[in-house]
Amino acid sequence: MNGYAGKILRINLTTKTISTLPTSAYEDWGGGHGMGSKIFWDLIDRSKLPSLRAYDPDNIVTLMTSPIAGTMVPGGAARTEVQGIGAQTYPEWFTHSNFGGRFSSMLKYAGWDGVVIEGRAEKPVWIDIRNDTVRIQDAANLWGLDTWQTQERIWSLVTGQDAFNNWIELDEDGSRTTQRPAVVCIGPAGEALSRTACLIHDAGNGAGQGGFGGVWGSKNLKAISVIGTGGISIADPASLFEVRLWAQRTYGNDLNHPEKSSWTWFGVRGTEQINWGTGGRARLHACIGCHRGCHERAEKSVRNDSMCSESFLLNYTRLKDMLLKTDDAYYPTSMTQKLGINASEVLKGTSYLKALYKAGVLGQGCTIDCDLPFDKVGSREYFEAFFTMLIQRTGIGNDFAEGFYRAAMNWGRLEEDLRSGILNYGYWGMPTHTYDPRCEPYWGYGTLLDSRDINEHCFSFIFWKTSLTLGHPPLDAEFVVNLVTGKMAPYDDDPLMLDFSDANLYSEHQAKLVAWHRHYSRFWKRSVLYCDLRWPDFLNTKGPGNSGLTPEGEPKFFNAVTGKNLTFLEGNAIGEKIWNLDNAIWTLQGRHRDQLQFAEFIYEIPFTGGGPFAFYYMPWYENGSWSYRKVNGRTLDRQGVEEFKTKFYKLEGWDTETGWPTRSTLERLGLDEVADELERQNRLGRE
Amino acid sequence: MNKRDQHHTTGSIKFSRRDFMKFSGMTILSAGIVGTHVDALGKQQVTWGFLLVDMKKCQGCTSCMLACSLVHHGVENPSLARIQILQNPYGSWPDDLTIAQCRQCVEPACVAACPVGALAPDPEFGNVTRVDASKCIGCKSCIAACPYTPSRPVWNFTEGHSQKCDLCAYTPYWNETGGPEGKKACVEMCPLGAITFTKIVPDQNREDSYTVNLRGLPWARLGYPGWDTPLLDTLFASARKRTGGGR
Repeated sequence: MNGYAGKILRINLTTKTISTLPTSAYEDWGGGHGMGSKIFWDLIDRSKLPSLRAYDPDNIVTLMTSPIAGTMVPGGAARTEVQGIGAQTYPEWFTHSNFGGRFSSMLKYAGWDGVVIEGRAEKPVWIDIRNDTVRIQDAANLWGLDTWQTQERIWSLVTGQDAFNNWIELDEDGSRTTQRPAVVCIGPAGEALSRTACLIHDAGNGAGQGGFGGVWGSKNLKAISVIGTGGISIADPASLFEVRLWAQRTYGNDLNHPEKSSWTWFGVRGTEQINWGTGGRARLHACIGCHRGCHERAEKSVRNDSMCSESFLLNYTRLKDMLLKTDDAYYPTSMTQKLGINASEVLKGTSYLKALYKAGVLGQGCTIDCDLPFDKVGSREYFEAFFTMLIQRTGIGNDFAEGFYRAAMNWGRLEEDLRSGILNYGYWGMPTHTYDPRCEPYWGYGTLLDSRDINEHCFSFIFWKTSLTLGHPPLDAEFVVNLVTGKMAPYDDDPLMLDFSDANLYSEHQAKLVAWHRHYSRFWKRSVLYCDLRWPDFLNTKGPGNSGLTPEGEPKFFNAVTGKNLTFLEGNAIGEKIWNLDNAIWTLQGRHRDQLQFAEFIYEIPFTGGGPFAFYYMPWYENGSWSYRKVNGRTLDRQGVEEFKTKFYKLEGWDTETGWPTRSTLERLGLDEVADELERQNRLGRE
Repeated sequence: MNKRDQHHTTGSIKFSRRDFMKFSGMTILSAGIVGTHVDALGKQQVTWGFLLVDMKKCQGCTSCMLACSLVHHGVENPSLARIQILQNPYGSWPDDLTIAQCRQCVEPACVAACPVGALAPDPEFGNVTRVDASKCIGCKSCIAACPYTPSRPVWNFTEGHSQKCDLCAYTPYWNETGGPEGKKACVEMCPLGAITFTKIVPDQNREDSYTVNLRGLPWARLGYPGWDTPLLDTLFASARKRTGGGR
């Protein structure tokens, strides 16, 4: 099994049983999400799914790697897919999150393709993996530590040393490594069973969405540590080396010649999405095997590896801190990492609290009594109070810990604040991503049809490339649309998928776009685990004819590692199978198409957008020609969304009345046993 | 006595540090004419090729380690890599990361320590010192003798012998010719260009002689310290141009 370690670690915390699953039994699912979903399906008591909750001991959490993890496949060697019933969404769905760094590679080097966690430990524990030796260790001395302290303590416990400048001998056979153990853990937020809690690895790699930090807390699981010295067999080493260099040099920018920078998703010029600005006294930093880092490690190490959502907390600090980049400017960012809190919840929650305070609803002596020092909003003191209330669940911090959707529910404000939009939680009780459904409906539709904010940026480059605010000279809209959709097999004959005009918001073309996005991402991005920040590479001004690596690159690397002969389209087809299995699990959990609704403000309040999003230009087809048009200022139509759902279900071969998978579709995908189970539980869709 | 100050034997030729310093001084003065001075001195057992690294530039992706393991062994195993990146996720730049590459010492302690002569210069590949696995008895003396931490000779625990950087002289899983005159997998693969190769002998008495600044103006244009002078970096940071690459 080239690319695979060959076995999956299975740990029952209740019975303290450690066993293995053969990877070969799950190889058809690729890796990552596909394997995780199938393992969840196989091991969970499916009769309990309708009532099984995130914090029930019977909930199962999987952490899966992929055949390309730990290899030199660019932008793909470092992701770990986390799955299980999540605590964050409303209602609680079987969901997933994903983090980078070096955990997945180390797990592979230790000889494991993934870890399956079942049950609940009687007292806090951590899992200690050293190659084939696996122990469940007492975490009494780790409980209460923040995520950085926890990891440093475990490094020391595993290696018996505090300095890491030499070879660490691991086994009697002399196997050794210079690398620290890779640890993923929860912080105080997870211990407090917060639904906003996440998993943190190293300084800033987090599985943020899904509330898996709380799920681990409920299992009394503080951390998983792994250190390994084994190797991953590669089917065609010479080919892997060659295609990596080819991709890196042909499609990536050469940072030593920044004056020649091209626009590429695969090989961007430097970091992106670091809100305090890139550079300064720092280094670009990458996950294992990645050709182009997206993080930084800095002289001010408190900001190491923070980016995107957590770095946007800078905007919530005081102006003087923000401008002078004081230590306080980085404080809320670093605390989300150390306490293990989902930064998206903090971002949207902070805005919400400020809006309620401004309205006189929340504050000292108000209807919602709150001790937060609003006269010092943005200060270190304010954030200290906020985080302390959340992790200690003191006062209305108990509501913060439940996430701000449930907090609003507890305060009796949910309906009103979703209608006005001050609670910017557009779907499934989750913060609305910047790529708003009113502008890019496929993102919202995908989220409703999935179990969380999809956070898959496959098409976001269109906005960034064409947005006039960023100064990029836009490429001709028709050229871009044809180039991108021409790579979207099996729907590669339909350029109208990327028509963002008002007339196309609920069409069959949108349904194809969403279906392609779900299928592609389920396999290539979440199962093979190509990184969302590097793949797919549609448009690339360095590539021949402005064409990027997709669809050539994805299977090329996969096949060089595994020795298989998988095509891009076959990968998408496996993605469809995984997607159907996921929908079967949601169906057994009780999902019905009627539940798939955006929050009221998506239908009622026109999208304005801030910063570059105030100038939201997207491809628009009208009167036989393409152009870029501004898509701000619109809402979605409730009936239109219903029409979209019907069209999507038809396209997928699902029951249009319920959204449940049908037998014919499941059997077409080789999921006969899934159809049987749905039928047993009276949840099989009508043909 | 420090291990580095010991008198070592290289093949059949003995060098003292004093001898070598005289020689390396000549080399530096005649920068650029490398290889020829080997013949001039008649001491062909010395490796004439050295990897230099920029630890402030490295992005810590360990692609060099993966490349090294892949081309030599056909597997991805950082433990078998002859170049090691050690990093602390919580460290402060630039001290958060160290690159440990073989220094191809002119007076290699590893060679001197081997009781069976398994380490020897390979004349076919520019006299780069290699480990003959068939001779190695697995005593790890070379590893213990290496004056640097972590030791540059690597214990290949899967096959039971030591090994060291051969400048890619023998890479059975790579379709390129390596060695001092050929390509080096780590140099080729490093996505940032943080590793380079020279035939000019680095000062054997200085710890930092195997590091080099490979950043300069391009790095300043990206917004990172291009020079090791904060004033220069500040001046160039202010002139930084950002022309795309974001999203």
